[in-house]
Amino acid sequence: MSREYDITLKVNRYDPDAGRSWVQSYELRAGGILRFVDLFRKVNDEQDATLAWSSSCEHAQCGTCGMKINGKPLLTCELLVERAVEIFQTQVFEVEPLTVAPLIRDLVVDLEKAYERVHEAKPYIMAPAPTHPEGDEYRVSPQRLNQYVEATRCINCFCCATACVTQKNYLGPNAVLVNIVRVMDPRETAKEERLKVLYGETGSPRCRTARACSYVCPKEIDIAHFIALAKEGALSQDV
Amino acid sequence: MTSRFKIDSVLRPDVLIVGAGGAGLRCAAAICEKRPGTSIVALTKVHSPQKSHTSTAQGGVAAVDPKDPIDKVVYHMFDTWKGSDCSADQNIIRQVCESAWSQIVWLERRGMHFSRTEGGRIAKRPFGGHMLDFGRVKAFRACYEADRTGKGIMDTLWGEALKNEVSFLNQTLATELLFHEGRCIGAIAFMEASGKFVAILAKATVMATGGKTRMYQVSTNCKQNTGDGLALILEAGLPVMDVEAVQFHPTGIVGPGILASEALRGEGAILRNAEGEPFMARYAPTAKDLAPRDLVSRCIMKEIQEGRGCMHGDHKLPHVWLDLKHIPEHVHRTKIQEVCGFFKKFVNVDPQCELCPVTPTAHYQMGGAPTNPVGEIHTNATETVPGLYACGEFAAASLHGHNRLGTNSLLELITMGKVVGEQVTQYLSDADPPPRSLPQDAGALIFSQFSAYFAAKGKENYARIRNELRQIMMENVGVFRTAEGLQTAVSVLTELKSRAGQMPMHSQSLTMNQELIQFWELNHLLDVSMVIAQSALARKESRGGHYREDYPERNPEFHYHTLAFMTEYGKVTLDRRPIDMSIHEAGGVNAEKFGIIERKY
Repeated sequence: MSREYDITLKVNRYDPDAGRSWVQSYELRAGGILRFVDLFRKVNDEQDATLAWSSSCEHAQCGTCGMKINGKPLLTCELLVERAVEIFQTQVFEVEPLTVAPLIRDLVVDLEKAYERVHEAKPYIMAPAPTHPEGDEYRVSPQRLNQYVEATRCINCFCCATACVTQKNYLGPNAVLVNIVRVMDPRETAKEERLKVLYGETGSPRCRTARACSYVCPKEIDIAHFIALAKEGALSQDV
Repeated sequence: MTSRFKIDSVLRPDVLIVGAGGAGLRCAAAICEKRPGTSIVALTKVHSPQKSHTSTAQGGVAAVDPKDPIDKVVYHMFDTWKGSDCSADQNIIRQVCESAWSQIVWLERRGMHFSRTEGGRIAKRPFGGHMLDFGRVKAFRACYEADRTGKGIMDTLWGEALKNEVSFLNQTLATELLFHEGRCIGAIAFMEASGKFVAILAKATVMATGGKTRMYQVSTNCKQNTGDGLALILEAGLPVMDVEAVQFHPTGIVGPGILASEALRGEGAILRNAEGEPFMARYAPTAKDLAPRDLVSRCIMKEIQEGRGCMHGDHKLPHVWLDLKHIPEHVHRTKIQEVCGFFKKFVNVDPQCELCPVTPTAHYQMGGAPTNPVGEIHTNATETVPGLYACGEFAAASLHGHNRLGTNSLLELITMGKVVGEQVTQYLSDADPPPRSLPQDAGALIFSQFSAYFAAKGKENYARIRNELRQIMMENVGVFRTAEGLQTAVSVLTELKSRAGQMPMHSQSLTMNQELIQFWELNHLLDVSMVIAQSALARKESRGGHYREDYPERNPEFHYHTLAFMTEYGKVTLDRRPIDMSIHEAGGVNAEKFGIIERKY
């Protein structure tokens, strides 16, 4: 059995109909093994049905439930109460929406707007390499794949983009990563076009190497490492 | 007061796709490749198509390379037939298994990051129910991207959709289908963020709304999987098929119900009871822990019933153990990294040195909207609705019959999605555009539903009804079923439906009013649950995922698909559709393998 805690959530709220913002406190008693999404559900069920927040898969695979908890961007579906108490050394939590996109209501932001930056980075193969002489799939050695496979794990939760010290005129760490994946992918031939975006005005030169992205990434991807490789021009190494 | 609502705008694409997950977007890609320039509008309930539930599929996609020296397509076909408990349609099995490998190559060519062999080819792993030589020994047949295969597929298809300039309406609900002279001409949709209604008049409409098992207490489905698509079909007076066939995945992580992939057992994980005994060897001496899901789920429940299960202190749920301790550290790190992370994150257990608590969890519905082999939705056992298609988990073609093998669902998305897309392009070539003006009663249904939600008075509470629904479905319409339990479920559901009309709403806003959406979803859950319970009551036999304790054997009298209509709540009319046995009927050396065979592992 896990321990129970008295939790206070101080939630940043926003009502688009009245154009009003305020902070609302909710007090609740919860088991340590509950997750923050469970807490929001508990608030909806027992105290306030109007509090709006977003989630979908609730196991850290879709990246819909990103929020700032005591200032740190994270996925609220994987934050257990007992871990939160341990990390932040408090039972009072400030809950804010991510800052990467306009607010819709309360904790719900318009992720569609945030995604525009990812779309700009073209998350697909623009010009595929010719087929293998023996047909079927392109051959990629596991050693080659290993160089960039970590970067393919990104789920676009925008926690990194929220934490990033560069907030203006920058694609953001996750969108840059999208580009880096295809620069490193031997099946993509449109390297020049990719590098133009990567090294362009809104690309990797805007990164100030604060490494906040790697620090907050819920998937523990070392994003800063990949961006550093890009800056050194060390993305394409032959195996 | 209906005057508060109106259709705010009208879109007129060639094709409307409802649901932008794996099936919907594979369909979109097929349309764009075959008929460039086709305008497509795709709706999704989630924030971005990339967030679709397809992204959470872990294990793999079954596909036999026709050039494979050991594995054969016919073995895959046999396994699927046997796994379905002899109730899949053999024309669909053939079509899907034969096209599997070409669809894997299609995805790979478009950038999916499959795991690789030393030689750089797509790696394969074993999976439950997939065997060589007609059930003799496990096959390496599942192509995979680590333990995030669904994400690989979703990212690839989403990328294709962006490249092809598919228009997306995110956080948008399809609320009713539109018909004109018997033909489907699109749908009315509600945009959550703006609170506006849009009519989409399209030449063809494809339903691909995915899973629908959120009515169970423990479920791996995302919270958007509330059966909206099936409810729309029922509201349109159309039938649903085999909905009693619900798959309980044996290894849900106790608590949130998150899926711990079969890939873990593929990599050697072992189920143990409270006494530490690897009990699967007792039930399935050959396949052991890799026996099909329905069977493993029942074995776990049996162990629990007979007192060899454990009780989880926090979640108050009975469970057994999954043992991964003996699996080498490098396998933990490279092949099952995400799933092992789930145990650490969600239950604070380290699979490398501790036993992991697992319990059966509602995972997949084999049934859905009945379609023919090209995805046209059936109005009865033989006829179809012009202009209305379905694919993916939402549809029942049926590839899975009453039980689905692991890795065959992702396979269905990518194969049937393509077939349906190509069929749509054929239909488009001589389909008339839909009428210029909207049908007279367009929107009437959703306007009256929303008005009723806003006007409702009473002391009922959404959460209470939702919880009671989930509990009765889990206990009475779950892994084990009886006539008595199902009858109780039917009467409880009737009562819940009437109570659901007495939940007051706490905000009158239309803009991102999540309570409004939850009311709408709850009604769909109640609708679909009723049809599941009554279909299960009528099928007095056990077949695949549908297990009746009072009728524990399969019965040849029930060798058909269940068709169920519901025009009024609780009034379910049943019909039948024959099971296609064309492989068996064609004769030849393997014909007897595709007859009515015993299902033993």
